[in-house]
Amino acid sequence: MTTMTPAPVKAPTPSRLGSLASRSRKRLEGTGWQRLALVTGAYLASLIVFGAIAAQQGANPFTVLHAMLSSSIFGGGSLDQTLLHAIPITLAALAVAIPARAGLVNVGGEGQLIVGAIAATGIGVDIGASVPGPVSWIAMIAGGALAGAVWAGLAGLLRIRLGVNEAVTTLLLNFVANDILLYLTYQPWKDPNGLGQPESKPLAIQAQLPLIFGSQLNIGIIITVVLVLVVWWAVKHTGWGFAIKVTGGNQEAARRSGLKVRSLMLSAMLAGGALAGIGGALNLAGVETQLRPDITLTFGYVAFLASFLARHEPLKTALAALLFSAIALSGNGLQLSTGLDGTITDILLGLIVLAPLVMTKREGAT
Amino acid sequence: MGFRIPRIRAVGVIAAAALVAAIAACSSPGSSTSSATAVSTAGGSSLTVGFIMVGSHSDYGYNQAVYVASQAVATSVAGVKVITADNIPETDAVTQTMDSMVNDGAKVIFATSYGYFPYAEAFAKAHPNIIVLHQGGYLDGKFPANFGTYWGEAYEPVSLGGMAAGGLTKTNKLGFVYAFPISQTIANIDAFELGALSVNPKAQTYIVNTSNWCDPLKQKEAAAALLSQGVDVLTQHQDCQSTVIEAAKAAGKYVVGYHYDAETLDPTGWLTGSAWNWAPLYESIIKTIMSGKFTGSKYNANFVGTFADHDNPLTLAPFGSSVPASLQTKILAEEKVLDTAGASVFKGPIACQNGKTLVAAGQVMTYAQINSLSCLVKGVVGTLPAS
Amino acid sequence: MNGLEETMIGGIEGGTAILLPALGELIGERAGVINLGTEGCMLVGALSAFAAASVTGSVVIGILAGLAGGAVCGLLHAWLTVIRRADQLASGLVIWFLALGVTSVYGANYISATAPTLAIINVPGLSKIPWVGPILFEHDALVYTGYLLVAVIWFVFYRTQLGLVLRATGERPEVVAAAGRRPAVIQIAAVTIGAALSGLGGAQLSIGYVGNWFNDMTSGYGFVAVAVVLFATWKPVRVLGGAYLFGMALAATSVLQAHGVSVNQYLLDAAPYLITLIALVTVGRRGSASAPEALSRALARTG
Repeated sequence: MTTMTPAPVKAPTPSRLGSLASRSRKRLEGTGWQRLALVTGAYLASLIVFGAIAAQQGANPFTVLHAMLSSSIFGGGSLDQTLLHAIPITLAALAVAIPARAGLVNVGGEGQLIVGAIAATGIGVDIGASVPGPVSWIAMIAGGALAGAVWAGLAGLLRIRLGVNEAVTTLLLNFVANDILLYLTYQPWKDPNGLGQPESKPLAIQAQLPLIFGSQLNIGIIITVVLVLVVWWAVKHTGWGFAIKVTGGNQEAARRSGLKVRSLMLSAMLAGGALAGIGGALNLAGVETQLRPDITLTFGYVAFLASFLARHEPLKTALAALLFSAIALSGNGLQLSTGLDGTITDILLGLIVLAPLVMTKREGAT
Repeated sequence: MGFRIPRIRAVGVIAAAALVAAIAACSSPGSSTSSATAVSTAGGSSLTVGFIMVGSHSDYGYNQAVYVASQAVATSVAGVKVITADNIPETDAVTQTMDSMVNDGAKVIFATSYGYFPYAEAFAKAHPNIIVLHQGGYLDGKFPANFGTYWGEAYEPVSLGGMAAGGLTKTNKLGFVYAFPISQTIANIDAFELGALSVNPKAQTYIVNTSNWCDPLKQKEAAAALLSQGVDVLTQHQDCQSTVIEAAKAAGKYVVGYHYDAETLDPTGWLTGSAWNWAPLYESIIKTIMSGKFTGSKYNANFVGTFADHDNPLTLAPFGSSVPASLQTKILAEEKVLDTAGASVFKGPIACQNGKTLVAAGQVMTYAQINSLSCLVKGVVGTLPAS
Repeated sequence: MNGLEETMIGGIEGGTAILLPALGELIGERAGVINLGTEGCMLVGALSAFAAASVTGSVVIGILAGLAGGAVCGLLHAWLTVIRRADQLASGLVIWFLALGVTSVYGANYISATAPTLAIINVPGLSKIPWVGPILFEHDALVYTGYLLVAVIWFVFYRTQLGLVLRATGERPEVVAAAGRRPAVIQIAAVTIGAALSGLGGAQLSIGYVGNWFNDMTSGYGFVAVAVVLFATWKPVRVLGGAYLFGMALAATSVLQAHGVSVNQYLLDAAPYLITLIALVTVGRRGSASAPEALSRALARTG
């Protein structure tokens, strides 16, 4: 029999600093317009700080903005690129959102994307040339989902069985996944016709995801949109989704009301991992078509920030992921038009997510 | 329990974003104060050339060599404007960068990293009016009319550096820090050892990898492990070299450089090295393009610069003060030999570590064979993972 | 010198870069706050130390700058988590992202620049002890600082009033408040000092062991430091062991190769992280249960 965790303690007497904090929190409430102004102000502040940094680095902030918008949305082909990159980032963001609703922190998006791509490559290179396209696509996506689920499930199991914090284990697993990727691309899966470069054999044409008629986008976009809607429905309108939410809200209360908390937590991790795995598979089958080191580099962390910004609500998470994809991608074009280092967009992403952190309104006590 | 999030937040973000977009849309891009250049439309024959680098342009190594040459070409060739981008990873990001460069008016793009090849080739096929050059050493193939790949026989000056190392080592142990066991690296390791053996039959090269093209901590640990073995000359095949050079300096040992002349980092320890001198090649390619003769030229193919052809972009770096004149003479004499047709670093007899004959006596390896090398020659200590 | 000795020496040199942030994180977590931004604070410290040393030519100023850089990073996290009561894990990760961006942008000018580095100091007398001497006593000043810090922290934790109050803050902040102290202030101080130590760990990398600055040069070692605290079950001496264990796993990859041993380089590369995972599993449920209570509550509240 497991030991009961102690009952939550009642509210502490706030320290002087603590009461200062609660007074400023109270100021956040107030009329709706005041709140809107405050929130808008907070995000504008992020942009202004970013602009200030850009200016200090010698660039005109408006030029920077223009360059970012043009290389992610308005320039020729940019929007397509942004949408294509939003596929793995959106799915990885959902991979953060679902476990988060169950109270778990999944920082393993990077690793789950990678193992999804690895599974898709293994399957796609093996059968891609000899079976009809749709069979390959389904097999690759299924393989990616399975791989991602396993990768997240490892961390999930460690959490429910041993109480090991999943934020740390998923993070460590990212490094392990990366080493597996390096091993495969430099050793057994290296393309013998690739002239020594670390890349897998390319997918046969019919195994690559087809383009949507008349555009540069592949059907992965449609699959992603469908998945977003499925997740939204599952999370908001099913018993499972509700049970997850309750578990995430108060584990002890959930357990007492008869919910199988451990299974729910594990299922949330598995679902999240599967989604990220699919993201990795779609990216491989649709965009990269060959496994290489650095595939989807940093996508997982950008996705984490997006889910956090959207408070893990599925639809908002998808929108945030789209926005963040655009921002993350806009970095490469910045160098040419403004002389700024592309990584400056990391600062913008961080500042944007900083805003809600600063405006946190916590109910309840420590 | 947990956070209560005002729905207001979404509205707030949208409001802020809308405001920002409005400002951006109304501002003109001409207010840029950056150093990037716009295509000049005055005086007809101005050509904008873009260079894309995989690492930092100040890495004292591979990418800095590209950058320095790109700037040289901007001044030495009339009517050329140069734009550069660095730290572009070997992913789709390079396609985007090429797109951006074309939007900025580039008509020629140099994609200067091995891993850019598939993206560069695809881009060339999709944009027949843009000339794309890939830097990295691929074998012959059918190239579109607006695409070419180029490289140099890198192992030639590496073997000369090996001669310097072999001549100056007192422990007969040399150290080589590498990233991954790709054929070009194996060729470099073998060439280094062969060069050392030619002046010092007892020389051995110890090898350690870092699984990374530029991780300074791993480079330092690799260097430390090699130095503990008694190695007194270090060299490397990494993208950045300052950590290895400084490790040698701190230990008071010698170093042979790669990619770039970094003698200033360690004047006493620096023996020599291989340094990319891309400018003449870049200039030649650009001039060929400007005269409209690119298609069908030797650059519209797999171009390999060699000592024998007197156009190897990788050259022997200047000697440091520690290299005695007699050794310098020997090395320069060997360079002259390599400058003749038919000469090769890999001329037989050469044996692999396990005794198997790699090159029979009197034979010479072809460029293709060298670029698919997978055996370490006798004298190299350490193993490669089976490929 | 044989392979084992080399591994231990390299393990201590590199392991110090993990030990210092781990000790810092230990302090913060004992007070009830986890900082996943340790990696970011290390980066900020590494760049600050390198830039300061490079500009002024003094390693001492470099070390101070490393401490200061880490402290500023920690203050941000402390403000967000203690005063604004934001989610601790999210705050840490956001700070990491910001630090990554900021150090990339401002560090661009220092790539391949040179700066004075810490000298190796052979402790007179002690370094002559056979076998143990060269392994433990021929390092730079920050390594010795690591040894001393473990002892100091142990002493403060378990033998002083300050340590008692700190640990109590991590277990039952309400009791501390009732006793007339201010847990929030203690937490802010703990997190800031902890992050300053992370900055010092970054300095060990940039001006101690490696002598260079490169983007993202901490390569995830800050996260490893957080993991070390977990599997060391929040005890200082175990943190020392865990950090050096990881350092040795890192060093072993190079040492084995230099000795000509045939190894799968990718497995070796992953080994330190796998070892950390295994250590976490080994410590298991008992380990997680021994976490400072306020920390457990903070972690359980995520979502």
